[in-house]
Amino acid sequence: MMLRLAWLALAGMLLIGPASAQTAFTPRDESPEEFAPGAGRDETFYACTACHGFRLVAQQGMTRAQWEDSINLMTRRHNMPPLDGKDRETVLSYLEAAYPPRAPAGRGGWVNPFAK
Amino acid sequence: MAREAWGITADGNNFDTGRRGFLGSSGLAAIGAVIGGVLPLSRNGIGIPPAHAQAAPATAPAPAKGPQYLKFPGKNAGLVVLGEKPLVAETPESLLDDDTTPIEKFYIRNNGQIPEEAKDPDAWKITIDGEVNNKIEIALGELKSKYKAVTRRMVLECGGNGRAGFSPPARGNQWTNGGAGCAEWTGVPLADLLKKAGLKASAKYTAHYAADLHLSGDAGKPTISRGVRIEKAMEPNTMIVWAMNGKPLPNIHGGPVRLIVPGWAGSASQKWLTRITIRDREHDGPGMTEFSYRTAIKPMVPGDKADPANFRILESMPVRSIITNPANGAKFAAGTKELKLRGASWAGDLTVKQVDVSTDFGASWQRATLERPKNKYDWQRWTATLKLPTDGYFEIWARATDSKGAMQPHQAGFWNPQGYGGNAMHRIAVLVG
Repeated sequence: MMLRLAWLALAGMLLIGPASAQTAFTPRDESPEEFAPGAGRDETFYACTACHGFRLVAQQGMTRAQWEDSINLMTRRHNMPPLDGKDRETVLSYLEAAYPPRAPAGRGGWVNPFAK
Repeated sequence: MAREAWGITADGNNFDTGRRGFLGSSGLAAIGAVIGGVLPLSRNGIGIPPAHAQAAPATAPAPAKGPQYLKFPGKNAGLVVLGEKPLVAETPESLLDDDTTPIEKFYIRNNGQIPEEAKDPDAWKITIDGEVNNKIEIALGELKSKYKAVTRRMVLECGGNGRAGFSPPARGNQWTNGGAGCAEWTGVPLADLLKKAGLKASAKYTAHYAADLHLSGDAGKPTISRGVRIEKAMEPNTMIVWAMNGKPLPNIHGGPVRLIVPGWAGSASQKWLTRITIRDREHDGPGMTEFSYRTAIKPMVPGDKADPANFRILESMPVRSIITNPANGAKFAAGTKELKLRGASWAGDLTVKQVDVSTDFGASWQRATLERPKNKYDWQRWTATLKLPTDGYFEIWARATDSKGAMQPHQAGFWNPQGYGGNAMHRIAVLVG
């Protein structure tokens, strides 16, 4: 184990190497404070990050109904524990308020590199 | 906490993903959340700060300004991270300027946990079973020695490429155009193994299985299991591959062995391949049903609740072109009157018959010079020389037309909940003077 870590650290210092220099990838620790503030942020953060990065959540912009669909999908198909009652309300309300459909519409993910 | 220790700067943006990855493990808080299945009030135990208990603002700030760049051994630092868990990173169009995409610039898409690198690649076992006369179990070393290897340069493209173009936003990683690359793949046609196994008359579809663990850690749950119609599985360009650009297939790209199903959504090209089960009907594994890799039969109102009965599986990817040089945001000296463009285009199962470029938002178009593909499923490079009337701000738009006459639209259309088929024209902005 120590040997492995040492090897990984060495590869990290070299930063680049032959294509065969591979390693497992450990995601950076995210913290709730990095994401949109609002009531329920921490509860939502921990409900989602048991499996995946919160960045996946924060990339989205959806209506409450679409967030509800997403939570249902996670429970039905990806082993998320059911989110009921007050917890569900807390998480849904946060997502609805913090990550609504993005405006203006129709920009296609394209950002003007010269915009101030 | 780890934040200070690992160099997150004041803007929360400039963290060192790679270094963190080597020296640390997952945060204890995250592990606690997995084990306990609880929702702690906050990480530091002092509850939610009063300021955050107020009503949330209508629009939320992004977690970080600007793109987060990938730090991963052997990968180009210009790749843009879409997510770290699972690890997903796309290649900006300007890094797709090579005829053959180098491994270091090739996009990364994972659905689950990244497996440990195989210690003995040649001992890796692949099973072919289901609707076949003779089940095959073969080690990679045996596959290499007993079958005739072929090398082809072919595009691999994520099924969600172009998703960021949808309005309202569709669920999933917000790929722009960078979920694609074109590499030299070496392996054997899947058809050679299927012929050896002997397909039964009932063989209709493949089901692919792999070694990567589901994000939840549930070993009994496939991370993703896609499949294709038997006709696609039998076509000579669908391959089991072990080398990429002449090198052993890197672990991060599914090594030691993966499928390449060219022209179709990349997830059909199962990484870390362990088994192909031949089925007598369309496969229904994770990634095959409901809205996963499926598009609407009857076009739906964007953003509406979708009906799974109105969806069918996505097969060929749509036509797409990208400008690979200059880069979006390039600046040129005052008085520059001519710009040389380079780009790439591809069209799923089809070829590209034409690429056009515009500097006036599509009011007029100029035909680009288009190369032929090296082999089927190769991309087609193109070049164009543009005249600019004045200094100033210009947008350059590119559109490709496939061999059946379908052209890229201005906007990603035919909205679907998970955003497949988005192939809006690529546009870059340049500033002269």
